[in-house]
Amino acid sequence: MELSMWKRWWLPILASARSTVLVAVATGSMAACGGGGGVCDGCAVSAPPAELTQQAGPSELLAQSNGSSASTSLTRQQARRFLTQATFGPTQAEVDHLMAVGYQTWLDEQFSVPMSPTSHVAAWDAANAAIMKIDAGQRASSGEVTSSFWRQAVTGSDQLRQRVALALSEIFVVSTADSCGSNAYSRGTAGYLDMLGRQAFGSYRALLESVALHPVMGCYLSYFQNQKEDLSTGRVPDENFAREIMQLFSIGLYQLNSDGSIKTDAKQQPLETYAAADVSDLAKVFTGWGLNCSTGFTASCFFSNPSIPEQFLADMRGFALYHSTAEKSFLGTVVPANVFSTPEADLKVALDTLASHPNVGPFIGKQLIQRLVTSNPSPAYVARVAAAFKASGGNLRVTVSAILLDTEARNMSALSSSTFGKVREPLLRFSALLRAFDARSDSGQYLINSTAESLGQSALASPSVFNFFRPGYVKPGSSSAAANLVTPELQIATETNAAAYVNFMTSFIWAGTGRAGLDNSAKRGDVQLDFNVNPNSPWLARADDPTALVEEINQRLMYGTMPVALKTEITQAITALDFKAKPTPTADQIAGTRKYRLWSALLLTVASPEFQVQR
Amino acid sequence: MRDHGSNAARRLFLKQSGAFSLMGAAAPLAMNLAAASALAAPAATDYRALVCVFLYGGNDAFNTVLATDDPSWANYTAVRNQQPESIALLRNAAPNRVAKVGSPEWLGGALPISVASMQSGRSFAMHPMLDSLQGMFNTNRRVAVVANVGPLVEPLSKADYLQSLKRRPKKLFSHNDQQSTWMALAPEGTAVGWGGRLADAVASANNSSLFTAISASGESVWLTGKTVRQYQVSPAGPVRMGTQPDSTGVSRVYGSDVVGAALERIVTSSRSSHVMSVDMAAVNQRSIQAERILSSALPSEALAPYGPAGALQYSTVAGGRAHNPLAQQLQVVARTIAAQGSLGVKRQVFFVSLGGFDTHNKQNLAHADLMAKLNHAMQYFDTTLSAMGMAQKVTTFTASDFGRSFTSNGDGSDHGWGGHHLVMGGAVQGGDVHGAFPVLAKKNSRDNGFDGSPDQINNGILLPRISVDQYGATLGRWFGLTSGQLGEVFPNLVNFGGLSDLGFMKT
Repeated sequence: MELSMWKRWWLPILASARSTVLVAVATGSMAACGGGGGVCDGCAVSAPPAELTQQAGPSELLAQSNGSSASTSLTRQQARRFLTQATFGPTQAEVDHLMAVGYQTWLDEQFSVPMSPTSHVAAWDAANAAIMKIDAGQRASSGEVTSSFWRQAVTGSDQLRQRVALALSEIFVVSTADSCGSNAYSRGTAGYLDMLGRQAFGSYRALLESVALHPVMGCYLSYFQNQKEDLSTGRVPDENFAREIMQLFSIGLYQLNSDGSIKTDAKQQPLETYAAADVSDLAKVFTGWGLNCSTGFTASCFFSNPSIPEQFLADMRGFALYHSTAEKSFLGTVVPANVFSTPEADLKVALDTLASHPNVGPFIGKQLIQRLVTSNPSPAYVARVAAAFKASGGNLRVTVSAILLDTEARNMSALSSSTFGKVREPLLRFSALLRAFDARSDSGQYLINSTAESLGQSALASPSVFNFFRPGYVKPGSSSAAANLVTPELQIATETNAAAYVNFMTSFIWAGTGRAGLDNSAKRGDVQLDFNVNPNSPWLARADDPTALVEEINQRLMYGTMPVALKTEITQAITALDFKAKPTPTADQIAGTRKYRLWSALLLTVASPEFQVQR
Repeated sequence: MRDHGSNAARRLFLKQSGAFSLMGAAAPLAMNLAAASALAAPAATDYRALVCVFLYGGNDAFNTVLATDDPSWANYTAVRNQQPESIALLRNAAPNRVAKVGSPEWLGGALPISVASMQSGRSFAMHPMLDSLQGMFNTNRRVAVVANVGPLVEPLSKADYLQSLKRRPKKLFSHNDQQSTWMALAPEGTAVGWGGRLADAVASANNSSLFTAISASGESVWLTGKTVRQYQVSPAGPVRMGTQPDSTGVSRVYGSDVVGAALERIVTSSRSSHVMSVDMAAVNQRSIQAERILSSALPSEALAPYGPAGALQYSTVAGGRAHNPLAQQLQVVARTIAAQGSLGVKRQVFFVSLGGFDTHNKQNLAHADLMAKLNHAMQYFDTTLSAMGMAQKVTTFTASDFGRSFTSNGDGSDHGWGGHHLVMGGAVQGGDVHGAFPVLAKKNSRDNGFDGSPDQINNGILLPRISVDQYGATLGRWFGLTSGQLGEVFPNLVNFGGLSDLGFMKT
């Protein structure tokens, strides 16, 4: 399909203008560049994050978060920046709405808007039925989780919920790259993503329980069908989940102050949160968890693997027969030995212990800040978010509000900082483009293939429970490292991935992407930018004025932060793309010129190192 | 799964390269490629490379190299034969293909290896899927086993450990931290790894530092030096950013040389002073620069001895043929080594990896498949290097997060510490087990302590007798570092009484 797209646009131009125009070099005919309303033209001023909090007064912030007063209404730039942090990318409609209602009302709306009526599981089921109709031997698989993710990311009205769910999926990791989450089990992965969305604004404690009882997690971290110890033979409980629920999902390795800094002993050594004995005893809690099957608490049920679709979704069930009755001592909590121990009662004690640990607020809060706003929040920012977490009893809605409305997140002087913000993870670079330029799905199902190779990242497809990148990653030899900054997303910015990203964008912008329909019979990739398929797209005429086009792209994709030199570079390049015969160009020449300019201007923008950083 | 098969790597390459062969590509390079033209070929006689094969997840060393003497075997079987699925391999047994696929009965007995040195009363074997490595150990003598290696700060007896009398490595049993400790001698967050530090010490021998430390498997702290930085190549070869040059060598994007040139200028520099933009630009610049050089320097992957493509397929446990991602990575390493003359490098460190070793459950089939991949990839690499005449100049060694527990959790094993490792190459003192092979005891009657062994702690986990520092220093000495340099790279070496050469490399 890419070839046919290419021919459609390439051949007419070849015929009319190839020899004279395509090899033309810009020769001083470029339009005057620069100007524009961006705050950040040039962006030469550096300001460390710690200073940012002192630059916006509380009253200014209060005014910004209360959009009801016309005199304090948001600028378009503020709105776009906020939506870049809180959604999969600003659209015109969402920007207009946010400007009309203000931050707080927008958040309240997002907290109450229902989840998309088509859940990820429902989308997976519908795709499965459609696939079986085409070929009775085929079934839906991981690809349908990917599609459903993109459909909701691009079109969902519950943007904040889905955006936070993605962030949670990068902390509470399961993966379609693992057999526990792929093939038929990928229906469970779809359900897991639904669950993260459902729990995204509830209590952390409830989220942790849903994570702990989910069969995909049970399988992924191997406590599904895990049996109690056998002292006579020496068999021991599987320790996998016990370790990772502490290290990754709740408290982390080191005792933290509320601002996220590590507590140390008298010798300045970090204080650890747990020891090997905590792991082996907590592992006993995660014994006796099996399938929620209809046949009851039998051995055959405990040892059976999911077979009917509901079993990929329903919470695991405790089987006392296989559950450890020994004493369980972890993190200072002791569950006495008791022959009547039940998995459920022990789980409650374990999760209560973890969720009430003082580390959770700063540990989880800081990572959510990193996913939404900035890689290197000031300790004070972390402390404010952790305080909100604590005061609300671990409520994630309150925590997310605190993150997005914090002075440090909202302060527009961050746009002139050389350190605030984060590298946009590849998924979010792509989603921003899809949303800003009204991407269309011919099937309505956003049949985008795994981007694990092309973007170096694909939703719910991490290579391990440690996610695609680690929150504390420091890029060796980098400018960021020299500035003592962590850059999680740079962990996947390898030389190969960097090339693959530019190549994927080059291809997508002109030819679209994705399967050619579920039956592979369509003439083009399923997902296309609107201006490529809609002759009435307003973007087409904008291309007649390269300077204005680049400025509009700057506003839509970079909320006005594009440096003048980059605007100049792009404007010059696309001005040179002019296939119109003088004085009477053909319709093909006019249309071709517009599209080449749009493709090139978009590619040069999204390939730029400037776009790839969210400020 | 729709996305698996023998052409996976080819498809991967096409995806990453954007499948743009029909289009022209970007314009003349706006960056300084002087490094490329300045290359001179040093004498190939003095070339050495170290290749780290990292087994991500923690390899079960107990089922990789087995002690098969009667006392060891009795305890091994007693501990590992648990319900519902025994993870105790067999000895002296023919494969039973009627049994459950991947089960010990199905696999048949472990493969005996004959060691050169005296290991009083002990006998050894390898996992049943390691037949090629067994052959290289027994016959070619190009493979050695180094027993019970792991991170240590200083020598640690069991009493020292149990009574916390001496320092021990931080964050034992944690995947990411022990990966980092193996690679960089400290937990996650450490900036510099010992592969990179070895490269730092010898980089002056190279005309180009860009190709001194190369990963075919993403970011690895092992390769990061104080001055040397790693380059990450795609297993299928370098991926060109943008599009292919046209017949006149002009790079175009969407058919335009102007846009092609603009793209290269834009991606390789940041007009913003934001440090993360600056870093992204630096990655792009290295990506383009390295691709320009490598794409002309590397021999074709389709030609012998690197190809044909079928050479990268291994025989699966189930009996089919499948693409081996580890062999694919080693292929690009071999191609890069073949180009060392034109790249102007005399010392290189490489990193490749295989994931999936965290065999907490259903270990038998999973581990057997991983052993089959390791076996095939090592054989492929040895064969290829031999055909290149480079077998003496390249040393390949395994590393992993940690060994696993001796105890079973019913169908798998848990996180451990020490483990056995394999070293391969013409310069290796092969056909031997180096280091004291641990005593394997049975569990205590009342708990999972292993009082019968001075080498095993709770859950039968191995207390390492050889430190990663010593293991690395032995490799580093062969690589060309002086004792003084090794002491700098491996700061704990001084705690081991100067024993920095374990003798598994020929002098």
